[in-house]
Amino acid sequence: MRHVIAVLLQNEVGALTRMTGLFSTRGYNIDSLNVAPTDDPAVSRVTLVIEGSDAAIAQLNTQLAKLVDVVNIHDMTLGEHFERELAIVKLKLAPGGYEQVLRLAADFGAEILDDAENSCTIQLTGGLAKVDAFVRDAARIGTLAAVARSGSVAVSKGEVTLSSYARVHRLSG
Amino acid sequence: MTTQLTAGRTGEHPLAGARMTGADIVVQVLADEGVDTIFGYSGGAILPTYDAVFRYNDANRRPDGTPRIPLIVPANEQGAGFMAAGYARASGKVGVVMVTSGPGATNTVTPVRDCMADSVPIVVICGQVPRHAIGTDAFQEAPVSAIMGAVAKHVFLVTNPSALEATVRSAFELARTGRPGPVVIDIPKDVQNWEGRFAGAGALPLTGYRARLRAVMDNRLTDESCRRLYEMLAGSERPLIYAGGGVINGNATTALRNFADAYGIPVATTLMALGASDTTHPLSLHMLGMHGMAFANYAVEDCDMLIAVGARFDDRVAGDPARFAPKVRYIAHFDVDVSEVGKVKAVTWHHVGILSRDLDDLLAYGRRVGFRKQLETWHREIAGLKERHRLNYDRESRLIQPCAVIEEINRIAKGEAIIATGVGQHQMWAAQYFDFREPRLWLTSGSMGTMGFGLPAAIGAQFARRDRVVIDIDGDGSMRMNLGELETATTYGLPVKVVVLNNFGDGMVRQWQKLYYKGRLSGSDKSLHRKDFVRAAEADGFEFAKRLDRKEDLERVIGEFMRFPGPAFLEVIIDPDAGVYPMVGPGQSYDKMITGDFIRSRERPPDETPGPSQMF
Repeated sequence: MRHVIAVLLQNEVGALTRMTGLFSTRGYNIDSLNVAPTDDPAVSRVTLVIEGSDAAIAQLNTQLAKLVDVVNIHDMTLGEHFERELAIVKLKLAPGGYEQVLRLAADFGAEILDDAENSCTIQLTGGLAKVDAFVRDAARIGTLAAVARSGSVAVSKGEVTLSSYARVHRLSG
Repeated sequence: MTTQLTAGRTGEHPLAGARMTGADIVVQVLADEGVDTIFGYSGGAILPTYDAVFRYNDANRRPDGTPRIPLIVPANEQGAGFMAAGYARASGKVGVVMVTSGPGATNTVTPVRDCMADSVPIVVICGQVPRHAIGTDAFQEAPVSAIMGAVAKHVFLVTNPSALEATVRSAFELARTGRPGPVVIDIPKDVQNWEGRFAGAGALPLTGYRARLRAVMDNRLTDESCRRLYEMLAGSERPLIYAGGGVINGNATTALRNFADAYGIPVATTLMALGASDTTHPLSLHMLGMHGMAFANYAVEDCDMLIAVGARFDDRVAGDPARFAPKVRYIAHFDVDVSEVGKVKAVTWHHVGILSRDLDDLLAYGRRVGFRKQLETWHREIAGLKERHRLNYDRESRLIQPCAVIEEINRIAKGEAIIATGVGQHQMWAAQYFDFREPRLWLTSGSMGTMGFGLPAAIGAQFARRDRVVIDIDGDGSMRMNLGELETATTYGLPVKVVVLNNFGDGMVRQWQKLYYKGRLSGSDKSLHRKDFVRAAEADGFEFAKRLDRKEDLERVIGEFMRFPGPAFLEVIIDPDAGVYPMVGPGQSYDKMITGDFIRSRERPPDETPGPSQMF
């Protein structure tokens, strides 16, 4: 199944390489990867999307938790969470295509960033399915010149922000 | 855990506030950490720190005039890495390696990965090209942090000189805490030459690591946990302890032996845990696994409860996890690393914590509640298994049998010498035929299986344990890998004993080729090789260098070899067809164990061959 994993990672030289390297070392591909600063300048938040059985991903998470640079990990998929992605799409348009773009943007609640004569740039934020559908529909009304997607970012619902290590990785049982 | 800042206990470091170069800071922190030996090879990018070691030793001689932190120089940086590993394995202290950038650093990749795979604490300090040259393909530049990041417990590239002091201190902490492992510090030359204030204290925050370590250290066994384990034990008629390398690395031998003895639970150890139980003890089953004792493997087949301690159900032990210990009703697992719990085989009960403390707590609970266990039947069965399925080999052969050589050395060493090995048949014969009465006497590359490990590891161990006889049991293939280190032994006058069991080839590879590849000895036969090992040893300064090739001389020559007070080299021409038995084929279960012609089997030998990709 698809897992969305949030990792707080220390901003150290090579930290991201060590983290992503672990996935290839253990035989996994990362479907999407987002890295950005947080309120703490020493820490970045990484969001990974990866396919694997629950048991395999749980094992992978315990391996991730052995990396010294990793501050905390939360497998969002274990509970309810919000997952969003930002996409910016540039379309080459045939004459008259702009009307269709306006409709597409209205349907999806997307924002038109730039509308030149025969191309336009549209931004959309949403869940994975919505972004997929948007890109698919956009391709029908013009030629996709660029598809820039941020990869998923996620936070869990409710009060818990990131997990307690001892609770998630059951130390006794 | 083992060393403290000497001045830290009483207050401020005597040198706190002093202005020092980065290189001097590195050496001062090494001294504060109690480092008494550095293994390394110099070169351009590490010159400032080599100079700092020289100056430190010049200014801080021991009363007998010897340097406080001697620099031991190998023939190749891989040798330095394995020397540090041997030092760490034999002493439990952190081994230290210091090498230059580029090839110096990349030559240590193999020992670093080896230490990671066997959880051995070392700190590797690498010179790096100056910061402004990083990424320019400079002379002797290599992407050490990227390379080592994939194989080490952690790697630091020090780009901020003011963090250097805390980084070096933290590297030692990381190496020795939790599950121990290798830590690499990559220090650009200009950072070594930088001048700044020495704080005398302070470490990196390592927020996540420390929080997780704290969680493990705080995780004491609860009464409820103990109760559940004893309940399982009460319901078990054939409990067995399966002890792994974690028992040695975690200094949990005494706690393990106390627990096992209190209830009479037999102990089988992995290759990595030889010495965790005294192999001469009636309830010690010596080693289990692919080349384990037949009686140990049969006991695993028979047991109804398995208590795994610091062991990880590795493929050399549980080749077929589903059919490993097929009659067990309960598996309990103690470990310091939560990622090992349930990784290979689901367990009934587990506890992640500090092994020695947890085993002590477990025993204390048992005593408190007056737990008793009657296992006479199981003990009789164990004694029967040990008698019927004991190790044996072709004692009537006219050729020298490798097992006879080890038996004879063992008769003299009495389970109290430090034994290092290369990798292959000789490694398994040594594991099987030596006794180990204590932990940290057995130095072998278990997980990585690195040929060439034995000689440098023996050298490193001799530096750590001057009081012990150190013997390297090697094969001709493994000896060739780090042959250059023969000279290191004589250069430093180390009384290490080096045995080469020469079967003119890579014997273990040949054994597999005979079993699984119809005897096509692709690349493994060395009968046409011209190496004269005795002359090689003589050329490297061994005053005792002999070849043993007649069975009737075995006892006499080994006696002379063992009595020789200095570095001694012995080549033994062994039966090239001697195989390692028992053998559980790769990916197979213990009921398919082959016991060979000289060890009694209780099952019919197997006739199925695994597929070519299952065999590794």
